[in-house]
Amino acid sequence: MTIQFQLNGEAMSLDVPEDTPLLWAIRDHAGLTGTKFGCGIGMCGACTVHLNGRATRSCITTMGSVSGQQITTIEGLDQDGEHPLQQAWVDAQAPQCGYCQSGQIMQAATLLQDFPKPTDEQINQVMSGNLCRCMAYVRIRKAIHLAAGSSDSSSAGSPQFYEPGQEEMSNA
Amino acid sequence: MRKFAKYLANSATEQASDTPRLSRRGFLIGAAGAGLTMAFASSGIPVASAAKSISEGAFEPTIWFQVRPDGRVIVNIVEAEMGQHVGTALARIVADELEADWNDVELHYVDSDPKWGLMVTGGSWSVWENFDKLSRAGAAGRTALIEEGAKLMGVSAGQCQARGSQVIAGDRAISYADIVRDGNIDRSFSEEELKAMPIKPPQERRLIGEESKALDIPDKTDGTALYGLDATVEGMVYGRPLVPPTRYGTGINSVDDSKAKSIPGYQQTLVLDDASGTVPGWAVVIADSVHAANAAAEVIKVDWAAGKTADVSEQQILDEGRRLIDDASTGALVVNEDGVDNAFSSADSVLEQEYVTHSVLHFQLEPVNALAFQKDGRWEIHTGNQWQSLILPTLAKALGEKEDNIVMRTYLLGGGFGRRLNGDYCVPAALAAKQLGKPVKLVLTREDDSRFDSIRSPSVQKLRMAFDSNGQVLGMEHHATAGWPTKAMAPFFMPKGENGEKFDPFSIHGAAHWYSLGAHRLRAISNELASDTFRPGWLRSVGSGWVNWALESFIDEAARKTGEDAIEFRLSRLKAEGKNAGSAPNSVGGANRQATVLKRVREISDWGKDMPADTGLGVATTYGQERNMPTWTACVARVHVNRDSGKVTLQKLTLVTDAGTIVHPDGALAQVEGAALWGASMALHEGTEIEQGEVRDTNLNTYTPMRMRDVPEIQAEFIKSTETAVGLGEPATTVVGPAIGNAIFAAAGVRMRTIPIRPEDILAALKA
Amino acid sequence: MIKKILSGLIVIAVVVAFLIVWKPAIDEIDRPSADSFNQEQIAKGKVLAGLGNCASCHTSDPSKPLAGGVDFPTPFGTLYSTNISPHPEQGIGTWSEEAFLRAMREGVSRDGSHLYPAFPYTHFTKVTDEDLSALYAYVMSREAVDHQGPKNQLDFPFNLRMLQAGWKTLFFDGDRFQADDSKGDAWNRGAYIAEGLGHCTACHSPRNAFGAEIADETYNGAVVDNWYAPALNTTHAAPVPWTEDELFQYLRAGGSKWHGIAAGSMASVVHKGLIEAPDDDIRALAMYFQDLTGAEDNAKAAEVAAGHVSQAQGMADPATRTGEEIFSAACASCHYNAPSSLKAARPDLSLNSAVTAPDPVNLLRITLHGIDEPTGLRGLAMPGFGPGLSDADLIALARYLRQSSGQPPWKNLEQHVQDARQL
Ligand code: FES
Ligand code: FES
Repeated sequence: MTIQFQLNGEAMSLDVPEDTPLLWAIRDHAGLTGTKFGCGIGMCGACTVHLNGRATRSCITTMGSVSGQQITTIEGLDQDGEHPLQQAWVDAQAPQCGYCQSGQIMQAATLLQDFPKPTDEQINQVMSGNLCRCMAYVRIRKAIHLAAGSSDSSSAGSPQFYEPGQEEMSNA
Repeated sequence: MRKFAKYLANSATEQASDTPRLSRRGFLIGAAGAGLTMAFASSGIPVASAAKSISEGAFEPTIWFQVRPDGRVIVNIVEAEMGQHVGTALARIVADELEADWNDVELHYVDSDPKWGLMVTGGSWSVWENFDKLSRAGAAGRTALIEEGAKLMGVSAGQCQARGSQVIAGDRAISYADIVRDGNIDRSFSEEELKAMPIKPPQERRLIGEESKALDIPDKTDGTALYGLDATVEGMVYGRPLVPPTRYGTGINSVDDSKAKSIPGYQQTLVLDDASGTVPGWAVVIADSVHAANAAAEVIKVDWAAGKTADVSEQQILDEGRRLIDDASTGALVVNEDGVDNAFSSADSVLEQEYVTHSVLHFQLEPVNALAFQKDGRWEIHTGNQWQSLILPTLAKALGEKEDNIVMRTYLLGGGFGRRLNGDYCVPAALAAKQLGKPVKLVLTREDDSRFDSIRSPSVQKLRMAFDSNGQVLGMEHHATAGWPTKAMAPFFMPKGENGEKFDPFSIHGAAHWYSLGAHRLRAISNELASDTFRPGWLRSVGSGWVNWALESFIDEAARKTGEDAIEFRLSRLKAEGKNAGSAPNSVGGANRQATVLKRVREISDWGKDMPADTGLGVATTYGQERNMPTWTACVARVHVNRDSGKVTLQKLTLVTDAGTIVHPDGALAQVEGAALWGASMALHEGTEIEQGEVRDTNLNTYTPMRMRDVPEIQAEFIKSTETAVGLGEPATTVVGPAIGNAIFAAAGVRMRTIPIRPEDILAALKA
Repeated sequence: MIKKILSGLIVIAVVVAFLIVWKPAIDEIDRPSADSFNQEQIAKGKVLAGLGNCASCHTSDPSKPLAGGVDFPTPFGTLYSTNISPHPEQGIGTWSEEAFLRAMREGVSRDGSHLYPAFPYTHFTKVTDEDLSALYAYVMSREAVDHQGPKNQLDFPFNLRMLQAGWKTLFFDGDRFQADDSKGDAWNRGAYIAEGLGHCTACHSPRNAFGAEIADETYNGAVVDNWYAPALNTTHAAPVPWTEDELFQYLRAGGSKWHGIAAGSMASVVHKGLIEAPDDDIRALAMYFQDLTGAEDNAKAAEVAAGHVSQAQGMADPATRTGEEIFSAACASCHYNAPSSLKAARPDLSLNSAVTAPDPVNLLRITLHGIDEPTGLRGLAMPGFGPGLSDADLIALARYLRQSSGQPPWKNLEQHVQDARQL
């Protein structure tokens, strides 16, 4: 059936079965591949998009339920890819393989909507649904703090170097 | 892991050496195509001009870079980029010697045009392997640019120096861009010239070791980065496999797709016939969309004749491991020093313990997938892969094609961790495409991916230590069993042990420790029941992951037995003497460097201080994997144990790493952070078991890798060093588990000898 | 055995009653033209129709408003609502106002046949003449829809309409609304709406074996159409007492930060029915129900809520660890709250009525099947986790949530989960 909705601000009409997951409709029918597939059961967050401005997991959101709604993907979060979160993500050098990061950023955007100056605890709780298999968590948390201008109580920082003394190197 | 891939790829044909190899081929610099290209000659020094050789493509496509007329410096990367920012590290090595302005540098993940067929089959790089080679290539480029720049400015080369993509003579300067546009460089360097090329002393480095941003990151924040899952080609259909209940020996009796016929978009189900034996008993559902394929797969019934491992359990595999250890005739003696038996027979007391690790899934976030099709008679496989040359022969066999008629195009990897060293997932895609005569994009669901994973094998280890009446250690034995990935997938790389038996080095790496602990015997045993049941995989740090769990837990138990401080016990036995003295260039300093990281971690953690109730510190250390390429690492973990719930809270990890020269410090730190948390995740959060021949947990409802809320504070430090750069992606993985286990003992007095450690295990131990 | 005898006696009683309460037909009239009603009346009727939520029971297809056809599964068979659009043949176009009033108040159709009490005339009887007259004006000025829904499928003897007369003698009093002089006007307005057109007890009260509301269990909460309608009196299990402000928020916007959102049929009550009513009416309803539930002031409630949520978050019980892990991975990104600043858009499950309800059906079906916009708060939706979570996962999750709410464990969760999957 034909389902009409808004995708990144533009009217979109797709002819797909109602039970088609939004994720695959976005990727395979609308051709936007920034939204990723990780688990398909709503438990990794890689597929996170916004439904009416709030994070939702597109792998379990059916097309039938987005009819008439507004969907935003990572491609539409900011026209130039310069959303404060995206900039913070670069500043904190958060991504490793990067596969989870679209979802992380989309979830973080909702986090900041609800918790404008989040604490570590709030970030931990809200972001724990987004699995990062590279375990880039320390930097994701740091990036969120950067974007929010909130204080980061974790020790995420720049690389530290230690220069051992002479005698230390010569003998144990 | 990539270092390991490189090692494997090369070691198949060459002996590993302590010296990073310098290319025996010359180097070409000439204007061709879109700019000045600098590349290694593909064979010998060409007679014709460098520019001609380059334009004819007679150069090694894996290592080359260009200076474009607009000044951009393009470094071509054929590496699998899977989060380690390897492209950035390699480009910085080149750019430093080239004296390029870093802002001009761009990475280009090479489009594997068929004319560069070699490219995709070429081995991987690593910082360790390429540091010297790339430095010299950069220096050659700089030399040629200075010569030409001098000519253009009418001065002698000796008056010039290069800086920030410019050749400078006094107050005059000419940019690289201008040199490329106006000059006429056509220069080749012989191997000897290259060898004699002056490399900057470490203190003159401008990029290596300095802060920088990874070039692959911006695309990973706005959805433009392309992974295997994003590959498309005109006219492709989607495939979803029906994965059989056993990995080997499965047959299909019948397929009933009658219920799927009414699903819109469903096309047909193919039963694969795989001459390579990679995916026996597989069928592939073909449909117009991923969703249609999945919906159809739900209702298609396959009657399988399961293979012989259909009933195997984790317990049986572990018990088989125990049986193998008890049978002294099995396995390879990796180390077998004189006097071990004597040490034990004359011992005053013997400490003996068994350690177990359970199955672990890779669970790289992007489930494996591949797009396969034939184009102009040539097969193309579009996918993320870590080790193309390993799977190509298999693909050739499966397709009945010549290897050089198959090209693998590499995309970004949504996580590797060793899963994509094994390219088995390309095979069903290729077979389906061949059978159908159409491009097939095979997308595994997460459950498929888990069931088809090359898991980290469960392992059993027995360690023994002989003490004299003064508590001095006389000798030790270490017996380790697991399913061996290298035996399953790259048996050509199995060296022989002291007793002439072959072994998987990657399944025992990390056990040949640098402690002076008397006579040492190290036995590695392949658990065939494991490798019959599943295809064992290389998983981040491979064997060191389980080996160091046992070794460093055991060392802690030994220290408890002698009543020594756990760090003191280790330090007093890390003597850079004899076999542990180390050798240039890679392991220079030997055990001293391991002692240094250990002392440093003691200094910056709260070691020795009083801890709150039920809170404790534990230490562990490692040299990484290979004795000839050690990454010295030490870790202190701080945990709290809740005696009511059994929950272990990992509060803090302190890590000190000596990996020699650090090229890209921020990237290095990210690797240590990720590796450390992987170790913590495997110790406390994830892990599965084999049940009825398959992994029990196939998705995140029951498989529970570490998440944000479990992340401890991490304090990581590197030793400042100009020694040979070695790898970083794995060693931290191997120290965190035992550091946690040892910390739990310090906090609650219970010794955990099995990972993962669950709250129920803690509660049971507390009750015992 | 006793049951059988009782049933027999009742059948006899019903037959006797039938003889007593025979009702005549009221003559047909020509369908009055829409402009024969004044606009004010129509506008007022529209609000009243919203308060009574007529459309949701009498509209199965949005393109056929008020044309009936909505199914009502009952223990006695399935009933279908009738066409109440002013269509002369299919609807009530030929009904005079008198016939309309009689139907509303006495449950008797124009032709004299008795209506099933699924049509809540037992409540509408409380409505004033004036309001019914306005409602008549509104309904009769709607589009006439030519549509006939399915026939009722009731088992014998429930298919005998005349038996309904007997039912009435047993369970129907027919009184008009009586204001309580000890309360203020707003309270009385709320009570009038709730007890009359709003027919709130119809869903929120348990019913006896004959489908009648049990008199002394009014507002004790009940399962209706496989949704649990929570208790609206002091027997409710909500950890935080309902305050007037929260009731207002809930009825006006569709969600409360301390209780959750309006789902199931309550969603259409809020978004299709109450939406027509002015704030004053909603406020009046809120005031009335606040009185019924004995709520306290907002500040105190906020404190209770924060305390409850903190406690739930601090819970660490090995027995519910699996459920807690599922919650963290699947639910917390939308449902986690800082205890001190709970947000309606992030319904906190330790306070949520779906979790504190004695019946797990709301929680299970929402978890399995999700919630589409415009259920609950406008713009919000939740996907269903049904395909990914196994029964064991759901049970673990439900146990964890239930424990976090401070309520005793639900019984027979396995069965409930299986049932909810079928919904
Ligand atoms: S793919 Fe949607 S949550 Fe994992
Ligand atoms: S960056 Fe690789 S999964 Fe998060």
